[in-house]
Amino acid sequence: MVEESAQPSAPEDPLLQRLRDKFGEAVVSTHSYRGDRTAIIDRGSLVATCEWLRDDPQNQFDMLMDVTAVDYLGRRPRFEVVYHLYSIEKNHRARIKVALEEDDVKVASVVSVWSGANWLEREAWDLYGIQFDGHPELKRIYLYEEFEGHPLRKDYPKEKRQPLIGPGAPEGAADGGESSS
Amino acid sequence: MASRVVKVDREALAKAAGPFSVRAIMVGLRVTSRHFFRNLWGWIIGKPTIATVMYPEEDVVKPPAFRGMPVLVEMDNGKERCVACGLCEWACPVDCIHIVPDETEDAIERYPQLFDIDMGRCMYCGLCEEACPEEAIVMSDRVEIAAFSREGTLWHKDDLLVPVDRLARRLEYVRRSYER
Amino acid sequence: MAEQEQSTAEESTDRLEIPFEPLEMKLGPSHPATHGTVRLNLRLDGETVVTAEVEVGFLHRGFEKECESGLYYQAFPYTDRLNYVSPMINNVGYALACEKLFDVEAPERCQYLRVLASEASRIADHLTCMGACALELGAFTAFLYAVEARESAWDILDAMCGARVTCNYVRIGGVASDVGPEFAALVREKLAEVARLHKDFEDLLLANPIFRDRMEGTGILPKDELVALGVTGPLLRAAGVPLDLRRVDPYLVYDRMDFDVPIGESGDNMDRFLVRCEEVRQSARMVEQCLVDLPEGPVDLDDPRVRLPAKGQVFSRMEQLISQFKLVTEGPRPPVGEVYQAVEGGNGELGFYLVSDGTGKPYKCRARSPSFSNTQAMPPMVEGGMLADVIPTFDMVNMIGGECDR
Repeated sequence: MVEESAQPSAPEDPLLQRLRDKFGEAVVSTHSYRGDRTAIIDRGSLVATCEWLRDDPQNQFDMLMDVTAVDYLGRRPRFEVVYHLYSIEKNHRARIKVALEEDDVKVASVVSVWSGANWLEREAWDLYGIQFDGHPELKRIYLYEEFEGHPLRKDYPKEKRQPLIGPGAPEGAADGGESSS
Repeated sequence: MASRVVKVDREALAKAAGPFSVRAIMVGLRVTSRHFFRNLWGWIIGKPTIATVMYPEEDVVKPPAFRGMPVLVEMDNGKERCVACGLCEWACPVDCIHIVPDETEDAIERYPQLFDIDMGRCMYCGLCEEACPEEAIVMSDRVEIAAFSREGTLWHKDDLLVPVDRLARRLEYVRRSYER
Repeated sequence: MAEQEQSTAEESTDRLEIPFEPLEMKLGPSHPATHGTVRLNLRLDGETVVTAEVEVGFLHRGFEKECESGLYYQAFPYTDRLNYVSPMINNVGYALACEKLFDVEAPERCQYLRVLASEASRIADHLTCMGACALELGAFTAFLYAVEARESAWDILDAMCGARVTCNYVRIGGVASDVGPEFAALVREKLAEVARLHKDFEDLLLANPIFRDRMEGTGILPKDELVALGVTGPLLRAAGVPLDLRRVDPYLVYDRMDFDVPIGESGDNMDRFLVRCEEVRQSARMVEQCLVDLPEGPVDLDDPRVRLPAKGQVFSRMEQLISQFKLVTEGPRPPVGEVYQAVEGGNGELGFYLVSDGTGKPYKCRARSPSFSNTQAMPPMVEGGMLADVIPTFDMVNMIGGECDR
């Protein structure tokens, strides 16, 4: 939905060019939109790409600002995991995306690259149900363990109620009923 | 113009404290006693300098921009200015406005048969006022919505109507600020 | 305890070894010495913190889901509730992200007003943080001075938009209303008030031996670890990294402002406190510069795609009336695309990531909140330290529930 209309990849951007040269086939596509550089990476080479982005002296992306996911319901692949990177030394930014199919929502964790990914990945798991392989402690962060479904998925209705839990919850207070997804 | 990076001065702190921190204690005493005597003097001469406002005996001074609860403008003939177009209902992020429109023989042809605002949900954001094409709903300076039940926070049209002359200050502000 | 002592006595005669189990202690979610709703699960060995775990989410209310279900302009009131101590910065950040998406730029007067509002908010944010820190370390009087000064800072926002906390002031391509002619005098009066109380606040605390004992040398984390954890804002600057988006990546008219970026050296709590103290003064300087430089002109973009038409014309002209109806019911429609825009919030980088599918509703609206990443860095800061040091560290991390939990 987004990729088709965004401008085609900008070959003049040196960072994206270097990324393509280095990883070749693993870079699915690149584009720049409103000055935001974006590269879509193959799922298998995410960690290697991230390590290169962090360690290469021309990149020095030492900060992982954000990890989130986007649910393009009805499109294949359905999910996109989005990483926003920033370099203090070079003062530049980049966006890395990984596309995931609905029936296999798994991607390697980047906690080994940036330790700050820990909570951000837990949040993406909590709200979108993205599974991060190799994450030290992948559990819900905002919601409680008994919560069913992942609320930021597009097929989770906004008005859906979950049953009350904990001491004092009335017996059979479940007005939400069945789980989503 | 440019920004510079400066380092905070840690050494000055230890110096300011003095030997055995005596100076720090004296400075602290000076500050608190100055506040005490300043407030005492203000109380004696009848011009309090303390920040506390003795609500509800006295009310705070609200600026003209103040956004209290939304109310309906009542025209001089005792009817609402609203034409029930429903734009405020659209603009409201929390869906607290409920309008049932009806037709009338008057010149404006439409009026709200029902106009309810759930004050328990309203967050006083003022988007209804901005959306209104008739200056019919404005933010007043009323804020007291306490009620003994949930039904009590549901305000109906009759509760919401405020005569236009009592809203003069707000209407003037609205005209000025939305004129661009 | 008694059983343990007995067994120890039986086992060893020459070497006294008391087997211990770490004491589990839950600090929060509502604890008098923590502000913000958060739970710290601490495991203590005596008074030393062995491991710490932070549980967040008590204030989660689905910010992103709410934004996705409303139109672009309807998300502004929700952004107020992110960091509710400095609401204007959130407003500005979201508006800038939207403007980047729409590819429009607000008029100059509007940009100055936004900078003014942001900096007044930053004053309020830092004063709240420092005041709460003082309170939780026992300095109640200093807290009252800080809160009184914060009230003055909020009076500035109040005069601009009519609300102290729930501002909802900035719009896409403009601001809700221009300021009146009496505004400059009021701001100067309030700034003087802030400066006076801030001076008293500093006099009370900075040299105070008790306060310094509790702040100095606590909560230290090396610079590279902070960077890896994604910590930004005063926390990172206190460790000596001069990362301030207003300086390195100026948005709005920050490139025309004359201000200092204070940095610390060791990155302990005292440095963090001093950095915030200095930033209050720098923010006040910037507000003053905005007042001096505030240009005449419109505050709103004259662009019917994004901004509502003038009210007077809506009453009398058909075209404007149609435009008003279209913009309110359908919302402004951006092109398909995605943007990320970051601003320097009170606690660090506040970023908004918007994905548009071409309709009037954001397909995704994500807030990258500084508090979230900063709170994540708390366990390594407190582990190995004393229990009492948890409190000043937590205060200086300044976890704002509304922003952290969204």
